[in-house]
Amino acid sequence: MSSVIDEVPRPSEQSGFGFFESSTTRSLIGGLSVAAAWSMVAAFTAFWPDRPESDWAYTGGFAIACGALALALAVAALAGVRFVAFQRLQRLSPWLFALAMFLAAWEAVTAKLGLLPLPFFPPPQAIVEVAIDDWGRLAEGIFASARLLATGYLLGAAVGFVTGVAIGWSRRAGYWIHPVLRFIGPLPATAWLPLAFFVFPSSFSASIFLIALATGFPVTVLTWSGIAGVKSAYYDIARTLGATQRFLVLKVAIPAAMPHVFVGLFMGLGNSFAVLVVAEMLGVKAGLGWYLQWAQGWAAYANMYAALLLMAFLCSGLITLLFSLRDRLLSWQKGLVRW
Amino acid sequence: MVAAIASDHAVRGSTLTLREVSHRFDLEGQPLPVLDRISLQVGRGEFVALLGPSGCGKSTLLRLVAGLDTPTAGSLLTEGREIEAPDPSRVVVFQDPTLYPWRTVWSNVALGLEARGLLRTHRGRIEDALRLVGLTGFANAYPHQLSGGMAQRAALARALVNDPKLLILDEPLGQLDSLTRIAMQAELVSLWQRSSFTALLVTHDVEEALLLAGRVIVLSDRPARIKAEVVNSQPYPRHRGDPHFVELRREVFEQLGLDEAW
Repeated sequence: MSSVIDEVPRPSEQSGFGFFESSTTRSLIGGLSVAAAWSMVAAFTAFWPDRPESDWAYTGGFAIACGALALALAVAALAGVRFVAFQRLQRLSPWLFALAMFLAAWEAVTAKLGLLPLPFFPPPQAIVEVAIDDWGRLAEGIFASARLLATGYLLGAAVGFVTGVAIGWSRRAGYWIHPVLRFIGPLPATAWLPLAFFVFPSSFSASIFLIALATGFPVTVLTWSGIAGVKSAYYDIARTLGATQRFLVLKVAIPAAMPHVFVGLFMGLGNSFAVLVVAEMLGVKAGLGWYLQWAQGWAAYANMYAALLLMAFLCSGLITLLFSLRDRLLSWQKGLVRW
Repeated sequence: MVAAIASDHAVRGSTLTLREVSHRFDLEGQPLPVLDRISLQVGRGEFVALLGPSGCGKSTLLRLVAGLDTPTAGSLLTEGREIEAPDPSRVVVFQDPTLYPWRTVWSNVALGLEARGLLRTHRGRIEDALRLVGLTGFANAYPHQLSGGMAQRAALARALVNDPKLLILDEPLGQLDSLTRIAMQAELVSLWQRSSFTALLVTHDVEEALLLAGRVIVLSDRPARIKAEVVNSQPYPRHRGDPHFVELRREVFEQLGLDEAW
């Protein structure tokens, strides 16, 4: 019975495309078509002239960059036949292909056809231009933002963590801190902005306070709920084995609460991004948030898109960093959410 | 404490005395009596089983012996001293293994030594305890990777590494499948014989009580009172089919008011 089933060819083999049978061949074709798509973007940018009376300085440069990428992808696709390391690129193929299509469409409706109004919708090469001509100011902005965010976030996370542990562990700490937390916590940190800017000696320190506040609230609440939710059996075990109060807090309550703490850290990180941008726009006069607003003020929309793009990379990078830290620390957990 | 660990083999087990121990819970303002004047004397190195129906208050009694709760009335003494707080010389193995999921098997077993600051000097004991329960290859596994039986073995190793004078077993085999259970019963006996601690086992399984213990204390429904005491002086290993064993089992069932079923 089973041998009969085995003899019937599977549909994919029946279809006659013998060439597609091996997965190596299929991935080679996939890789090469991605490379072809990018060379099409390059050719299209280079040989279809820009709209008259436009003066995009980096049309050629953008075309060359796309061509170089196409070449690199072709080489990688060919290398994938022999080297397993390159085969991982195969997973990205559909995305790389879609990205090429998107850039081609963007290029067509802006620089080539002029369907979208300027200066609000600049072509891709205008953003390349910003990256090349204004990288100094952008780097300064990244540095200023990172410094502010790191200081505020770490401060807020540390204070929030300690406060959360204190409320979760000590009844007296809970009695005093809990009402304050309930009253002030839900208030958006940005509501403190006007007050913070005249109470604090500098807008920098005011912004640190606001970012720390925005981070601290979720970290406190989640740490607290994590500590409060620790199974009492965990404490019984440790107590019968001779654990001190200190041991119960540091080696039982805190490790057991860590999954909750990380949820708080993620929420805090999201909040801190929002407050960072607002603080930079309204008071700090430095950083990517300020650059965004400055660019908008000068109608330099390409600069604005460039800064937005950078910000997206940075925020996403930080979230990724936090996720990998969590995966490392909480590797004992089953079924972690993958970022 | 270091001296205690190195003490003589023969006298390692401790005595346990319960004098008129009563306990009640407060359930929404209503007092709920669970233990009613329990008096019991356990000798050095003895294996005593407390047998009773589910929910009769057996586990409450063990929590009192462990020092996790204080009785409403009466007193509990070990080695002539009142039990006031938990102490690593009296270790509990609970029905649920309750391993810390964030620690490997090795670090779970190390818990007691770490809590008392003995990890540095007595590190080797962890490996010994793991060997004793047959988990040598699993030192670096996390609890979620273990089967129920293995997790309970790890919990046993976590208790034994502290070299307890009194091992309190709260239905430790209750959640295991019957095959693992039979194997672990034999292992418990041989562990007890080798380490010569005093053992107090709570169970609702008549056969288990008679297989393991030298003395079976039969408890009544809640509030628990001591109904009877059955002594089993048969040598180990004991066999379920042995005529004397069958006779003892019948006797215990009779005490539990279940003789009709047999």
